[in-house]
Amino acid sequence: MNIVEILISGTTQGAVYCVIAMGLSLVYGTSRILNFAHGALYTLGGYIAWFLMYGGPGLSFGLAFVVSLPLLFCIGVALEAGIIRPLRRHANWQINAIMVTLGLAFVIENGLQLLFGPKTKTIPAFIEGGVSIGGTTVSLYKIALVGISVLLVVLLELFLARTRAGKSVQAVSQDLQAAAQVGINVNRVFGLALGLSVVLTGAAGILLAPVFQISPTGGWSPFLKAFVIVVFGGLGSTRGAMLAAFILAFLEAIVVASVGPGWAMPAWLIVLMIVLMTRPKGLLGVWEN
Amino acid sequence: MTKPIQDSRSRPAGLSSRFTGAHYLRDSLAFLGCAMAFLAAGLVIGENYVFHILILICIWSAVIAGWDLLIGYAGVFNYAQLVFFAVGAYGSAMLSVSGGLPALAAIPLAAGIGGLFGALIAIPSARLKGEYVALFTFAVHLALPSILQQTRGLGTGGSTGILGLPPISLFSQTFYAIDKQAWFLMALIVAVICIYLIYFVVLRSRFGLALLAMRDAPAFSEALGVNGRRYQIAAFAISAAITAFAGAFYAHYTAVVTPRILGTEFFLMAMVMLAIGGMGRFPGALLGVCVVVIGNEVLRSFDSYRLFALGLIVIGSVIFLPHGLGGVLRRFGKKDSPRA
Repeated sequence: MNIVEILISGTTQGAVYCVIAMGLSLVYGTSRILNFAHGALYTLGGYIAWFLMYGGPGLSFGLAFVVSLPLLFCIGVALEAGIIRPLRRHANWQINAIMVTLGLAFVIENGLQLLFGPKTKTIPAFIEGGVSIGGTTVSLYKIALVGISVLLVVLLELFLARTRAGKSVQAVSQDLQAAAQVGINVNRVFGLALGLSVVLTGAAGILLAPVFQISPTGGWSPFLKAFVIVVFGGLGSTRGAMLAAFILAFLEAIVVASVGPGWAMPAWLIVLMIVLMTRPKGLLGVWEN
Repeated sequence: MTKPIQDSRSRPAGLSSRFTGAHYLRDSLAFLGCAMAFLAAGLVIGENYVFHILILICIWSAVIAGWDLLIGYAGVFNYAQLVFFAVGAYGSAMLSVSGGLPALAAIPLAAGIGGLFGALIAIPSARLKGEYVALFTFAVHLALPSILQQTRGLGTGGSTGILGLPPISLFSQTFYAIDKQAWFLMALIVAVICIYLIYFVVLRSRFGLALLAMRDAPAFSEALGVNGRRYQIAAFAISAAITAFAGAFYAHYTAVVTPRILGTEFFLMAMVMLAIGGMGRFPGALLGVCVVVIGNEVLRSFDSYRLFALGLIVIGSVIFLPHGLGGVLRRFGKKDSPRA
């Protein structure tokens, strides 16, 4: 594998990891919930798009993608209101939140398996063809993947920085108490954050479906990667997550190119361990662990 | 920061009476009485299928007691408990199948290996707090199956696992898995020892008190001279050794070890037990074990829906019974007598 291929692979993976990890970081930043169902929701996105395309309505890819996003948002909001909010009344809610989201991950995983069967599903690449860069052929699909991912990330950043709702999300993640005192509806912000997070991870699930097939348990590996990214970048910092996503994606590309694809996951776990032991705060972390 | 798991009402008076010497003899006798009743019930019914379920309850009780020690009493969000179980099972399997040791020697050795492994996991975990521990330990859990796959050459058997573990031989008598009654007796002895060690020896000692202090007021307990790091590593080692012991015992009972013990089903089962039973509320977790093992057998006819249902039960019980059956029991206990 030459250097151009590593660069291309790193860029495409990095862009997608960015989308997944920012969703996870957003929820942790605002509501301090480690969402163990993030990977399952990634898978859910893929299945929703597959269903819209082949299961019933028979939509085109673009239409299915656009229809899935509001659906995913509603799922996120409903989950927050239905199963996370009732936990906050109790003193030990953080450990209960981990339990509940893990339970939710298994429910989604097994529910999808019941509905669609254990066999993997595929969505063909939505754009055919390729262009040549430095002697290597890059498929247009990969370029579109990077484009859409970057668009999603930019839209999220603009939303957080420019709109009133986005600013209230930032306020809550900086200081929950103070945000509540100045009249921000904290519960609505939690719902909004989880909704956006589900949209991001679900969108990544749809976009990656042509490369990694959709299977009920396929969400654990992106979840773990997203988590390593978020920890590496600093919990709660979306910028840190962005930076870390690209660093780790390039690292992964190098490992895959030099040692082999079997070592990609162990490499992620080693990075996780090193980060946790040397600088748990992460690259751009805001909080002490 | 870990929030106190107990409700504040019962702490000042309740703590001293519940966790140090008071009522030690009474509670011990009550526990042993329950164990005897369990034994009698099993022997009276005397059916192989029932024995099998009771054996599972015994083994799971030891595992869940170990988990409860860490997650409920020490307040460490450890999600690698089944890793310890697997280390015990694989350790004993490799020692007895590849190493040729008799089961009776392999099982305690495997427990020792489990304890060392627990300490090894604890060293990085003890530097972390809260969700970071949960993430780290769960990552270990998720990584283990692929490690077992990669280390096929060392005798882990890859995805097929290890077959043909020897049965336990004692006093020149060999107990095959078909002899359910003997296995029930052994499992009950194992469970009683493990549970007694955790809830009556470890948790009632100064060490146990220190763990609770670490959980409820980390900074204050450090100021009083509790070496949090050392205590946490010790708690991990004890919990892992006991869980590995149960895992090794289970491996010899079923005579096969496969990576399935790290699969979704076992993990969900363990989580449901703790969620229903309640963390840090003896004997809640043990009741959770009984309810889930029996419920799982009842649900067996709905096989494909079982895991889905288990997941829903986790969510439901965490939302509606945030303190589990242990919390319910304690509430009833309070109504009956003000000092329970």
